[in-house]
Amino acid sequence: MSDEVQVTVTVNGRRREARLEPRRLLVDYLRHDLGLTGAHIGCEQGVCGACTVLLDGRTARSCLHFAVAVDGSDIRTVEDLADLDELHPIQEMFHQKHALQCGFCTPGFLLTTVELLERTADPDEAAIREALMNNVCRCTGYANIVDAVAEAAVELRRRSPT
Amino acid sequence: MSVDQNGAVGQSVLRREDDYLLRGQGRFVDDLPTPLSTLHLAFVLSPYAHARITSIDASEALALDGVVDVLTGADLAAMVKPIAAQIELPGYSFNTRDVLAVDEVRFAGEAVAVVVAESPYLAEDGMELVQVDYESLPAITDIHAATDPAAPQVNPTVPGNVYFEGRFATEGVAAGFEAAAHVITEDFHSKRVTAVPIEPRGCLAVPEQPSNLVFYSSTQIHHLLRTALAEFLDVAESNLRVVVPDVGGGFGIKAALYPEEFVCAALALRLRRPVKWIQDRYGALLTDVHARDNHYRVEAAINDDGIVLALRAEIRTNGGAYSALPFGCTLETTGGARMIVGPYRITEYEYTATAVATHTAPVLAYRGVAQPVCFMAIEGIMDRIARRLELDPAEVRLRNMVPTAELPWTNIVGVRYDTGSFVESLELAMEMAGYDEFRAGQAQGRLVDGKYRGIGICSFTEVSGTGAPGWRARGLTRLPGFDSGTVKVEPTGKVTAFVSHAHSGQGHFTTFAQVVADALGARLEDVTVVEGDTAAGPYGTNTFASRSAVTGGGALIRASEKARLKLARIAAFMLESTPEDIVVSDGQMHVAGVPSRTLSFQEVAETAYAMNTSDLPEGESFGIEETDFYDPPLVTMANATHIAQVAVDAGDGTVDIEGYVVVHDCGRVINPMIVDGQVMGGVAQGVGEALMEEFVYDEDGQVRTATLIDYLLPSSVDVPNFQIAHIESPSIDTVGGFKGVGEGGLIGAVPALVNAVADALSDLDVNVNTKPLRPALLSRLIREAGG
Repeated sequence: MSDEVQVTVTVNGRRREARLEPRRLLVDYLRHDLGLTGAHIGCEQGVCGACTVLLDGRTARSCLHFAVAVDGSDIRTVEDLADLDELHPIQEMFHQKHALQCGFCTPGFLLTTVELLERTADPDEAAIREALMNNVCRCTGYANIVDAVAEAAVELRRRSPT
Repeated sequence: MSVDQNGAVGQSVLRREDDYLLRGQGRFVDDLPTPLSTLHLAFVLSPYAHARITSIDASEALALDGVVDVLTGADLAAMVKPIAAQIELPGYSFNTRDVLAVDEVRFAGEAVAVVVAESPYLAEDGMELVQVDYESLPAITDIHAATDPAAPQVNPTVPGNVYFEGRFATEGVAAGFEAAAHVITEDFHSKRVTAVPIEPRGCLAVPEQPSNLVFYSSTQIHHLLRTALAEFLDVAESNLRVVVPDVGGGFGIKAALYPEEFVCAALALRLRRPVKWIQDRYGALLTDVHARDNHYRVEAAINDDGIVLALRAEIRTNGGAYSALPFGCTLETTGGARMIVGPYRITEYEYTATAVATHTAPVLAYRGVAQPVCFMAIEGIMDRIARRLELDPAEVRLRNMVPTAELPWTNIVGVRYDTGSFVESLELAMEMAGYDEFRAGQAQGRLVDGKYRGIGICSFTEVSGTGAPGWRARGLTRLPGFDSGTVKVEPTGKVTAFVSHAHSGQGHFTTFAQVVADALGARLEDVTVVEGDTAAGPYGTNTFASRSAVTGGGALIRASEKARLKLARIAAFMLESTPEDIVVSDGQMHVAGVPSRTLSFQEVAETAYAMNTSDLPEGESFGIEETDFYDPPLVTMANATHIAQVAVDAGDGTVDIEGYVVVHDCGRVINPMIVDGQVMGGVAQGVGEALMEEFVYDEDGQVRTATLIDYLLPSSVDVPNFQIAHIESPSIDTVGGFKGVGEGGLIGAVPALVNAVADALSDLDVNVNTKPLRPALLSRLIREAGG
């Protein structure tokens, strides 16, 4: 159980090496070893999506992966979205549209939105709701999140017209 | 003295909380930095609903490297007194709970031992190795079967499994029923749910000095928790500090005091090391307080016009295995009995309200408390009156409502409705929903393209901002009611406002700053709000039951006014004027009529802090730091109308919500954006409760919904878009005119959706009198009705 395994990953653009117990969850590695506490643990059952990170560009439940199993991967967390002065456009629209209340689930929604808008520049409401359906928010009732995602899509298209 | 500035209250000010939360820099309890020496807890939970503990063998767990200790009920009983809710109601059966079960377990999930280890992983390893032998005993979970004389006894001090039975009757009830042209009787069934905030509970106890303990907890009630820790751990309250970090949703279930909190604090004091416990979802579902396992039988005596002459309610609520702190197992019981009359002119009323004990998780507050169910009952009765008399359901409501012209109105149980808009909110909601057009369309038949379409109304009153007299009326004599505010103008003129609340997503840093800015005459950006720390600011009752705007807002207004008076006295002295002539505006002060000579808050504050060459006026004390308290009236009553339009699939019984309208009246609105957010979030929970959520015990008390795969929560494809409007009827009984809004979204949604489904199926011989209305149930009802 305590036989540790060498792991090398890239987290938010930075190479990280660690020796970890094989059973250490990716979310615990990120939160408690690297101090990236933006990914939250809501269920450890893969349902709520609060622990969502981008794993090689795809959303993943960091509570369902062992850290050693993602050796060699590129991981992006919520901490990588904003710079010191400015929020990412998706974050800014969540702010403008009051798309968060307690904020516990929010990092997962943000990263799910990043993935959606990288794939679909102009999603309609149904596509947005479909994309968000695996993240649970208990505070907002979703409508403001859906609005924020739609507005973020507009803003991102404005910034990088195709 | 006067304030002359554009008000911050009433503006949709964007939230200050957002930036750090969006960056992933929220500090929820599991995000807090922990000292390296921190110990971690894992609780061993009973798999049985009712059993005798015959032995606990911790030797294997203790042999594991990194496991520090394993403690059982007997060990903890030496450190923590049995915890108990203090309820002063005649006939209430007082009962206590050991923080870890001693000898007997009374619900599946009750903790029987705790493992203390050097890491959370090791604590869970230890938990797996603790061998507990149980002798299974018969369990009872059903609220009706619980009072069968042959039922197993849940708690030795609760005879017949009845915690409490309350009765009330006005003199003319029997006469009302004798005079009735019709009597409408219905049974309403509500299944058990739980709140499921996405952040599970947790706490971190850090001994900082020989006699001090800093206790971080994901609680809504930090002052009440601190007092309870002091009482049940028998330590000096002044040596305890409770801090509430960011909390990832509470919804009432974090307004309970839990055994794990007492265990965590006791072990930190005993072991002289930091002790941390973070709940997992399995534990959350099993051990967070539950709600809504209620049965209502309602009888309404009506005349030929559909006017209710008298109402009888027989209410039974499941209190679970223990009466949980601090509100006790009678919270839903007395709540439903007192609130069911709603916005209606009910002049003769009788109730019997019973709280029963079962081998299930304790029941306490979940957003709305009894109101989603009692309004499902009374609003269901209104619809049944309409169907019986072939009247429109809206018309029946309008005929029975207390009109605005008759407010203030004191209802039959003595609760005053000071202001409100019962009729207006219904009429506006009908207009927004296109109600009349919808009804006209229904005349062609409710089944179109394989879907039955219906519309449902819920018009309701919403209890908020309860003061001490309101809690006393429900036997909660140890629950204060007041909250406090301290407003401090710093030497630089910036303002720090302390308030005895704790947020779990409501946006207090923003809204309370709006309130203080207006009351003090400060610039909004100069006001910083501090809360959720028993070491910062005086005592209060804290954050639950839609209180914070009313009690925190009121306390901060009072404290701000005192601080403003002091600023004015000092400014008047500096400007050689009188305080009465000082005008305060946007952090500046001047003499009325002389706007050219102004003093900033900073200049006045420097005098107050002796940081310049000006003297203070004779008799004035140093600093500018004022505190006040505010206890609202018995109850501050908000109101609203919800209208839901649904389509029920005739084949598979799924329900689509095709329209949703809310007209809400919470008096003076502090921040419309945040109020709308509260409403929408509440409705989403109501969608869950009405259509999918159910916490299931089987007959033996085994849990069938121990994961979020089994306990269904609404997602982005289940919750509709909303049309929301506000009517503002400022309270004339509260400081500030605010009424609460936290719970209304959920309260209105459950009855509106249930009524909409019932309306959709009303051409069939189907009685919709239960929730949740899941597809399997609805498709069966439709099939059985030949639809």
